[in-house]
Amino acid sequence: MMNDELGMTTEILPLTETISPADEAAVAAAVRDAHRDRRAIYPIGGGTGLDYGARPSRPGIGLSLGGLNRVIDYPADDMTITVEAGITVAELFRVLASKRQRLPVDIPQADWATIGGVVATAPSGPRRYALGTMRDYVIGLRAVDGLGSAFSSGGRVVKNAAGYNLCRLLVGSLGTLGVITQATLMVRPVPETSALLACDVPDLDTAERLLAALIHTQTVPVAVELQAGSFPQDTPILGPMSEGNAARLIVGFEGTAAEVEWMVERLGEEWCTSGVSLAVTVDDPEAGPLWRWLTEFSADVQIRVRPGATTGVIGRLLELAPQCSIVAHAGDGVIGVHLCALEPAALTSLVTQELRPLVEEVGGNLVVLSYPEEAELTRQEIWGPPGSAAAVMRAIKDRFDPEGILNPGRFVFDEPNVR
Amino acid sequence: MIHTPLSRELRKHLGAENVLSAPSELAVYDCDALTIERRRPDAVVFPRSTRHVADVVKTCCRHDVPIVARGAGTSLAGGCVPSEGGVVVMLTRMNRILEIDLRDRLAVVEPGVLNLQLTQKLAGTGYHYAPDPSSQGASTIGGNVGTNAGGPHTLQRGVTVNHVLGLEAVVGDGSIVRLGPVEDPAALDLVGVLVGSEGTLGIVTKIWVRLTPDPQDYRTMRVIFDTVEDAAGAVSRIVSAGIIPAAMELMDQGILAAVEEAFHFGFPLDAGAVLVIEVDGPAAGLDRQQQQIVEFCRASKAREIMQADTAEQRASLWKCRKLAIGAVGRLSPSYAIQDGVVPRSRLPRVFRRIAEISEKHQLRIVNVAHAGDGNVHPIVLFDENDPEQVERALAAGSEILEECLLCGGSISAEHGIGVSKIDYMSRLFGDADLEAMRRVRRAFDPAERLNRGKVLPAARRNDE
Repeated sequence: MMNDELGMTTEILPLTETISPADEAAVAAAVRDAHRDRRAIYPIGGGTGLDYGARPSRPGIGLSLGGLNRVIDYPADDMTITVEAGITVAELFRVLASKRQRLPVDIPQADWATIGGVVATAPSGPRRYALGTMRDYVIGLRAVDGLGSAFSSGGRVVKNAAGYNLCRLLVGSLGTLGVITQATLMVRPVPETSALLACDVPDLDTAERLLAALIHTQTVPVAVELQAGSFPQDTPILGPMSEGNAARLIVGFEGTAAEVEWMVERLGEEWCTSGVSLAVTVDDPEAGPLWRWLTEFSADVQIRVRPGATTGVIGRLLELAPQCSIVAHAGDGVIGVHLCALEPAALTSLVTQELRPLVEEVGGNLVVLSYPEEAELTRQEIWGPPGSAAAVMRAIKDRFDPEGILNPGRFVFDEPNVR
Repeated sequence: MIHTPLSRELRKHLGAENVLSAPSELAVYDCDALTIERRRPDAVVFPRSTRHVADVVKTCCRHDVPIVARGAGTSLAGGCVPSEGGVVVMLTRMNRILEIDLRDRLAVVEPGVLNLQLTQKLAGTGYHYAPDPSSQGASTIGGNVGTNAGGPHTLQRGVTVNHVLGLEAVVGDGSIVRLGPVEDPAALDLVGVLVGSEGTLGIVTKIWVRLTPDPQDYRTMRVIFDTVEDAAGAVSRIVSAGIIPAAMELMDQGILAAVEEAFHFGFPLDAGAVLVIEVDGPAAGLDRQQQQIVEFCRASKAREIMQADTAEQRASLWKCRKLAIGAVGRLSPSYAIQDGVVPRSRLPRVFRRIAEISEKHQLRIVNVAHAGDGNVHPIVLFDENDPEQVERALAAGSEILEECLLCGGSISAEHGIGVSKIDYMSRLFGDADLEAMRRVRRAFDPAERLNRGKVLPAARRNDE
């Protein structure tokens, strides 16, 4: 099976069998059969996100999309590309790089992750600060709904106001509304160069002061990252945090060599005025491993708050779990927390008793990305309580997948029969 | 004053001063900027709060009448015509800017706030709200959300949906949903679906918008070409080379003549087309970008390239672009603005075809375009009082959209579907695609009460 070949494990899914359709028609046929028999369907891309979300609620069929891996159309002059869902992100990036273009979204485990999986789980990384997320780049989609019927949304133009934007609805829906079979993406030119500027700060108040000062920077950062907590391994290129400091601010730039050089120098001056005595510049190509490290940081809890609440929440986190490591896309208020092998019971109690109330108090949200089986977290403890739109979401789900066969149990939806 | 049970109940909830129901008062709410579609509503209400909007929706549910929510009515596709009567919800009095938070780079506004009102409020803060439709002096942010409005500066920064962080909306049964402003991985992206849904999924009552830092500097150029094809070719060359300017706007000879007559900006009247190109960002990078653009324009046979050296010159160029459509009124008693979009490399082909269509129907067609996005706005000139000319104008508009479809494009980039393009939806989308949209429609609004008859064509029988 393809996933075994890649060294991925599908053990986490309760699969009775795995099928590998060769095209969308075969995907549709498989889902139609499953719908008729009320059997669960678990779409599988590169296997990198199979533990994302809650555990599946019942046995079912694995639907490996690896066979749908073609580039359908790449009109580079129009800066769009249409690909099948099973193409790996690394392969997509290679194709785009041949025309000096890219999808400017940071995607972890790109060698294995597939574009279908990325559409379903909507990962984002440091560059989201200026460049946005998958939702900003998916301009067309094809998918097979829970009845086995294929449908499309959007198109191949970069600006489109015809009908509802179902692309946005499907991005991040964890395959619960449809099995993604094809995507059209808006792409961008590869910038000439990039650089990162980092400084260590003694406390989170200083970090907040510098973050707030960035609001009026003359520069145009593409990433604003904050690192805090304890890291068993050193950060590449930058090394360990310097003695007596509690957090590290890393700001990324992209553009022409002249622009990047000017922005790095300028931010250095701005920081100097703010009392930062030492800032480290990491230029290309050394910047590469640092960008990758920021992208690949594996958080098991992800918190989102309004950007101004970031350092406050991190401060409380470090009091509650002093051993944790934190990499935050601080400019966007997205905080990734690695809880460093906390005991399952302690993890459950920390998340449900401490972190969630803390985050909700500031109007944010929390999602558990990865947890051991023994932690026994409920779906609501993983995803959070239903919001005011739960009824609308449920109504959408019921219409796209009336039997609840697509990825049952994993996303926020209860099973239709246990409602 | 006429008292129907419906209007009595609306008055009870909103107060008499916020409800109109006399026929003479209702006439002005019968259409938007697409004046050939009209229908008088049964009542017009002016809610002041989300609570008011929810009460109106619940009242309309009880009386089983349709609802059309609208802002300033500048939309061009008939999206706020009350085509089945019912209650028009005017959101123009919910026009407060509730919060501006630079630290979080967001503003919170009510739907009736004018686009320009927010821009003016932000002046001097170092931040702005990026979507800048040409109607920004009159159109509301709620309306911009409804149509997913664009504008010249959306080439690099994206359209309305890329700048909306959160929404509060009243859905079909009168309940209130709050989405965002903090992105929620545990939720479907309902903000993304509501934006551009033309008031058919919910009535937006509060909007959290992203604020964008002002660029450090600009280079704005006016480039004159002998033909529209040459100008379109330059656009294609620039984008293919990996340069994405902040804006790249095209105006053809026809529209330039109108603008020149109205405002005397000093355009040569024999120019085939003008591109207004702007790059912005850190000053350190701008001269080289400008140099490259100049080279690509020369390679595309540009006749004259002029740089705006002062803030006044830049403002004047943008004023000219934004006033262009208004100036068309000097050319013709009536005109219809089309909104089509194609992959950018097809622009030269589309302009050639528009010229053929103009010739064939013996109607003048002038062009403005957000060329960098492949978004064309051909303006068909005709006389509304001549039924035969109206026929030809409609046929010409239809053939232009036809060509956009043939090029792999879409029937609207930023004006929406409304009523005017509803018949094209089944050309662009298959039955299964439209059915997927209908599912979303019914999930938000099971009775299909909100802006009934817009966006989606009625399902074929036995579709369910």
